[in-house]
Amino acid sequence: MNFESITEILTGIWNSSGFAGITWQNGVMILVSFVFLFLAIKKKFEPLLLVPIAFGILLANMPAAGLMADPAGLMTDLPPGAVREPWYHDGVLRLIYAGVKSSIFPCLIFMGIGAMTDFGPLLANPVSLLLGAAAQLGIYIAFIIAIALGKIPAIGFTPEEAASIAIIGGADGPTAILVASKLAPQMLGPIALAAYSYMALIPLIQPPIMKALTTEKERKVEMKQLRTVTKTEKILFPIVVFVVVALLLPSAAPLIGFLMLGNLFKECGVTERLSDTAQNSLINIVTIMLGTTVGATANGEDFLQPKTLAIVFLGLMAFCFSTVGGVLFGKLLYLITGGKINPLIGSAGVSAVPMAARVSQTEGRKYNPKNFLLMHAMGANVAGVIGSAVAAGFLLLMFGK
Amino acid sequence: MDMLLAIWKSETMTVPESLGVAVVGILIVLAELAFLAVFIIILSKLIGFFTSKKKGASQPDPIASPVPAGVPLPDTRSEGTLDLINVDEPTAAAIMAIVSNESGIPLNRLSFKSIKLLEDK
Repeated sequence: MNFESITEILTGIWNSSGFAGITWQNGVMILVSFVFLFLAIKKKFEPLLLVPIAFGILLANMPAAGLMADPAGLMTDLPPGAVREPWYHDGVLRLIYAGVKSSIFPCLIFMGIGAMTDFGPLLANPVSLLLGAAAQLGIYIAFIIAIALGKIPAIGFTPEEAASIAIIGGADGPTAILVASKLAPQMLGPIALAAYSYMALIPLIQPPIMKALTTEKERKVEMKQLRTVTKTEKILFPIVVFVVVALLLPSAAPLIGFLMLGNLFKECGVTERLSDTAQNSLINIVTIMLGTTVGATANGEDFLQPKTLAIVFLGLMAFCFSTVGGVLFGKLLYLITGGKINPLIGSAGVSAVPMAARVSQTEGRKYNPKNFLLMHAMGANVAGVIGSAVAAGFLLLMFGK
Repeated sequence: MDMLLAIWKSETMTVPESLGVAVVGILIVLAELAFLAVFIIILSKLIGFFTSKKKGASQPDPIASPVPAGVPLPDTRSEGTLDLINVDEPTAAAIMAIVSNESGIPLNRLSFKSIKLLEDK
């Protein structure tokens, strides 16, 4: 073996390694994944989601690894003249990503959420549903702003992209992923990251808005204890809600259907094993696959665009205006009921369960230590889950051509 | 309605059109959830009506009914002692109220021995 052949072998090894194929975008995304891993592990910033998402970013940005490759053209268009390969030649993350693309994962996550959710406070005080509806305001405000920003050439959002960004205001990760994967799959990574990041930042985002929009007298309002809800009501609720919502807005049926199926497992009293699986093992398994593959969609070339910054900005706008909508509607109810409803529970109408309800409780106690708003806020909070699913159904109906 | 149909078929959108979509969207969410709220109220009333009717029909004969072994305290009274370990009274009161609410057992029928704060290891 002479010197030239050794050089040739070494050159071949170098050329086939990731070092030769790495782009600056890959490098930046790998650094971003390190930052997210640090935030998740060291700062405990939504670690259950952020660790798989961050590692998914790392996996997808490893040059030449091909974990998200799609030579079978299952989900991407093949280049002209390329030969379609068998499906099992696709990257492993691409194959798992089919669960996101087909809405299987968001629906299964919703089933787990349903199995964990107690709709009792909502049943005891059905007016909470209106707070859950009003707190979707941010979705529509962000949609208008996104369309307006779309006139800037570097950004240029289509109505489908604007709708996908706007749904961040629903403060519901699975809903945002479902809408984005249907309407703007190329933006799924930044939208999912923005949605989950802002959900983690709720204790920082909401309190200043709540304080600015309410008076001290309103914040001190003590709400009376909720009535006891019967078992029959709790069993009938998921069935009735699904039938009503699916008949009125069929495009919301997948999310609401799985949410209510999970809740029926919990409440009916004869499917404890199914309820346990849905709210523990299943949701954990799906979270791993969903988080990792959503992270893997954050490919450097697509992610590092001016549009991503616009998504981050619009997501924040959507969150803020959703809080504004909930609190303002809470103030309206305060006036209508003669001061019986504390407007602070309105902010919990964004669906981030139970974080938003905890914020209402904490803020309420700051101004009146005797105040226990948690159960009332939980009513608005779970109403927000239904509200965001209905809002998503409307957007899918309008733009899911 | 014509505007919405045009938007449905169109690939682009103007700001006034997006405003129209937003208004319709928020109204749909509000209307649907308001409809659900009314439905829940009616359902609760119906269940309450049938439950009270059933209870009335199955009310035992006061003469024939056995005397309960333990007579509960009146709703407004409680007795006994409770050890609070690193827990303040309002928190303890909230915990007891939640246990009562979740279990459906009135507070005057529940007996709490102690409430202790567990530290994260």
